Amino acid sequence: MHVAVVLAHPSPDSFAHELAARAVAGLRAGGHDVELVDLYAVGFRAAMSTDERRAYHGDTPILDPLVQAQADLLQSIETLVVVYPTWWSGLPAILKGWLERVLVPGVGFRFDDKSGKIRPGLNNIGHLIGISTYGSPRSYVGAVNDNGRRTLMRALRLSCGWRTSRTWLGLYAIDTRTHTERQEFAAHVERTLSELR
Amino acid sequence: MSKQSVKGSSRRVLVVFCHPLSDGFIPEAMHRVQTGLANSGADVRVHDLYGEGFVPELSVGEYRTHVEPGVSDDIAVHADNLMWCDTLILVYPTWWSGQPAMLKGWMDRVWASGVAWELPEGANRLKPMLHNVGRIVAVTSHGSPKYINALQGEGGKRTLFRSLRTMCHPLTKTSWLAYYGIDANDLKRQQAFLDGLPGAIEKLTN
Repeated sequence: MHVAVVLAHPSPDSFAHELAARAVAGLRAGGHDVELVDLYAVGFRAAMSTDERRAYHGDTPILDPLVQAQADLLQSIETLVVVYPTWWSGLPAILKGWLERVLVPGVGFRFDDKSGKIRPGLNNIGHLIGISTYGSPRSYVGAVNDNGRRTLMRALRLSCGWRTSRTWLGLYAIDTRTHTERQEFAAHVERTLSELR
Repeated sequence: MSKQSVKGSSRRVLVVFCHPLSDGFIPEAMHRVQTGLANSGADVRVHDLYGEGFVPELSVGEYRTHVEPGVSDDIAVHADNLMWCDTLILVYPTWWSGQPAMLKGWMDRVWASGVAWELPEGANRLKPMLHNVGRIVAVTSHGSPKYINALQGEGGKRTLFRSLRTMCHPLTKTSWLAYYGIDANDLKRQQAFLDGLPGAIEKLTN
């Protein structure tokens, strides 16, 4: 299977980077063809520009080659893995911007001229996997709605289709976790992804 | 940036405007918000994130020092204004069921340690610091009808009114001034929404 792992964390020595590396290792052990996208490392810009906004509903909504490369990748994969720290209950700006700029009309979704409804654009993605760390305990994350998870597992999933399976791997209350607990979670991530079929 | 009208509302209002264009529905909504504020005579400060060239990506340096109090020098004025206001008004389009990346980046970077929260030794919950903020107002638009947003989990509303709000005064009030279904291009309904904004904002900031 062709798999993309999209990583959104500014610090190369972060636990998110370790989790992404373990996810890649697990996927490769499972015989999959994996591409890692480190959004900070490739210099991805979070904010949709004025020109991009003006072009959004036109024939060529993508103006940046870096964004085009991401769109091409998304259209070539069967599984998407997203790795990020949850900030303010949601996605880091760089990852939110990746959704906004890459999943434009024609890529993430299509407007159906007949019905006027929005149709999924990424039917090729059969599995959607989210891996996130949280500062807060799980009960609190639930109470504030876990917006990042919902954005990916509901809003992004609408772009893939109802048959797309979803997997969520979260480590909660990370600031008070022991080294062993973190390592157990990382091993769990690697094992889960190695079992992906 | 700051003005005190003789009309005399004592409200201190911070408006954060986030849209890449200067024309269209949300920029129009921003004008109406400013009309409402002029009518109430509140003391107003405005940040136009695109206009100012705000950098939304939290940097590696900011991440490494994120538990220490304070923000980067380039955004100190944002932190000062957030700690100054009693009413926070956010004007933005809803994209992918939430705030645009530019505005999310403002939250990621400005709602920092020593501004919005502190993390006492050994705690796994943030301690709120923005007791000055008593009301959060969102003025936003959605492409889809309301039920689609409900299906998507209403992330934008909850990010503001649950997640950020917990850093504000415990009795912080919230106002959701949202337009749904803008893709349907019902200009009459859009106009009615815009026309209602000055009065609504004036009432909230009197």
